[in-house]
Amino acid sequence: MREHDTQPGGAAPDSPVRVSQNLAGGLILVALAAIALWLLSDLNAGTLGAMGSALMPRVLAVGLGLLGALVAASSFFHQGPVLEHLPLRGPSLVILAIVIFAATIRPLSLGSVSLPGFGLIVAAPLSIIICGFATREARLRELVVLALALTPTCMVLFGDLLNLTIPMLPDALMDLFPEGWSQKAMLRVSAATMLAVAALLFFSGARSATDDAKAKD
Amino acid sequence: MDTLISNLSLGFSVALGLQNLGLAFVGCMVGTLIGVLPGVGPVATIAMLLPVTFSLDPVGALIMLAGIYYGAQYGGSTTAILVNIPGEATSVVTALDGHAMARRGRAGAALGIAAIGSFFAGTVATMLIAALGAPLTKAALLFGPTEYFSLMVMGLIFAVVLAGGSILKALAMIMLGLLLSTVGTDLETGDQRMTFGQPFLWDGIDFAVLAMGVFGIAEILRNLGQPEDRDLVRGTIGRLLPSQAEMRQSLAPILRGTLLGSAFGILPGNGAVLAPFASYAVEKKLAADPSRFGKGAIEAVAGPESANNAGAQTSFIPLLTLGIPANAVMALMVGAMTIQGIIPGPQVMTGNPSLFWGMIASMWIGNLMLLVINLPLVGVWVKLLQVPYRLLFPVILLFCCIGIYSINGQVTDVLFIGLFGLAGFILIRCGFEPAPMLLGFVLGKLMEENLRRALILSRGSLTTFVTEPISAGLLAVSSILLVAAIVPNIRRGREEAFAE
Repeated sequence: MREHDTQPGGAAPDSPVRVSQNLAGGLILVALAAIALWLLSDLNAGTLGAMGSALMPRVLAVGLGLLGALVAASSFFHQGPVLEHLPLRGPSLVILAIVIFAATIRPLSLGSVSLPGFGLIVAAPLSIIICGFATREARLRELVVLALALTPTCMVLFGDLLNLTIPMLPDALMDLFPEGWSQKAMLRVSAATMLAVAALLFFSGARSATDDAKAKD
Repeated sequence: MDTLISNLSLGFSVALGLQNLGLAFVGCMVGTLIGVLPGVGPVATIAMLLPVTFSLDPVGALIMLAGIYYGAQYGGSTTAILVNIPGEATSVVTALDGHAMARRGRAGAALGIAAIGSFFAGTVATMLIAALGAPLTKAALLFGPTEYFSLMVMGLIFAVVLAGGSILKALAMIMLGLLLSTVGTDLETGDQRMTFGQPFLWDGIDFAVLAMGVFGIAEILRNLGQPEDRDLVRGTIGRLLPSQAEMRQSLAPILRGTLLGSAFGILPGNGAVLAPFASYAVEKKLAADPSRFGKGAIEAVAGPESANNAGAQTSFIPLLTLGIPANAVMALMVGAMTIQGIIPGPQVMTGNPSLFWGMIASMWIGNLMLLVINLPLVGVWVKLLQVPYRLLFPVILLFCCIGIYSINGQVTDVLFIGLFGLAGFILIRCGFEPAPMLLGFVLGKLMEENLRRALILSRGSLTTFVTEPISAGLLAVSSILLVAAIVPNIRRGREEAFAE
């Protein structure tokens, strides 16, 4: 989490060039504008009296490119703040957590790979624990308790009380319940079980912590 | 006057219904709960909670969303006072003296005066909306596409001038936002623009997805990169009611703040952001002893907080009368209205009076509720603020994922909040502010539609924008503003205002 604690004041000492924020940002905008113009190349701009679909976006893309070029050019006149090292750990784990959530919430088929939908009961804890490690201060036990407590709360809140259509349980789990149970009953029972495990973990953790403290005394 | 009273009584009869009262209460409560979390501003809060209102009727949904909005605003101020982390631009000023008061053991009085000032400002702003609603709606009916286009240009120029930092960068962000809004099927020709041939882009980029990516996920990434510096007030909160002397000191700042806030809030282009800064500057100029400012002057909490709340509320005016969202929050309101089958604009007031006036009446009720809920619950908010960020951000992330998934049931939406979050984070690291981009995105579709119509009417002549008197006036104001912002002298003054 504290990437730049070790490198106070801007760019890392080992980086060969000090790129200013303006240069990098300006060039990104120019690149975006170029991509937009390329995507728009086969559309018709029409005339002012009968605007085609490409007119407005093309004008905007040219404008964006010009402004981006100006921002980039301004970095040659006065340096401005230097682009700091982009941290890797935080963004990659947060993005991974989002991707995992998207991949597990409902059935997925990407080419030859296909996953059954696991529902919120799997997607939520996975993404909480993965994204929790985006900071160096993460503690696994704490995150597991959080995941086991927050997931059933969300399941009851969104699925039971608000009736939002989010897949909650995987088919495999639902098959374990006896015939004739309603979806909501299954949801409540699973939620209650998770909460109980979370409470057990939390209190056993608290007790072992106090035991440790006593042992030290 | 008679019609105003009868309109308001219609509004109150709707808003005071048991169900709507309950929804306003729940909205304020949940809004504050999420808004208190550090690094979660009103936009992210509303985007996260949008799905909660889907199963309600239109009136109830909008009442609840308005409650969430006020709650989130007030939650942001609470965080600013107690931990010195402003959740959004408008509570930056509150953090200055509010937190200084809190350190001197006067947290209670700071929270109290913020709530009282906000309530007063909210009351005045509600009356203002009720009074201006009808005449402005009539004026709006005179607006054709030419005028609408010029008005939106003015709104964007306002946003550029009011944004902190480089004007060039703010302009670039607006362009980017406008460009993003053109992604998807062109309604006029049916052509697909910049969709990469992907079906999920045919309808364009969803505003909630962009907003949640840029204000929710990017904010998490930004906070993760910063060392946590949470300066939570320890010890007592103190009594919540300000003393009589403090009340006397705050009276005039509250009045002035309300006036400033109401005026700035009506401006298209997120004028409300500037209101607290303006109020702070005014109070400091007028104070007998300006050196107290920054060290816990109660006027510096009372004035800006009133301005903040008044602005938050009057920024509903452009949306309700003209159908133009003035900022990102209002754009989410448009989204919520559209889902409920209401097209915002002048026709709402005439076609659906109980919705229009019910919402206005509920604004006042929402403000009253904030006063009633928040002061007794301060202890709960303090407890919540003691939770370390390493446990908070996974919760925020999960709510973002669930919220965005339940809007359309699209897995691609979830992936896109990650993509926009990452893109927003990189832009932030390059020194760009994402707020103007959101505004550009919000206005983009409306602008293109009106530009196209205006040009059809004028047979392709661009001069129509300067020959039509109203449109020419609006464009003149915009160009004066832009020139004024670029001229070095005034620019220095502007930077000073932001530096404070």
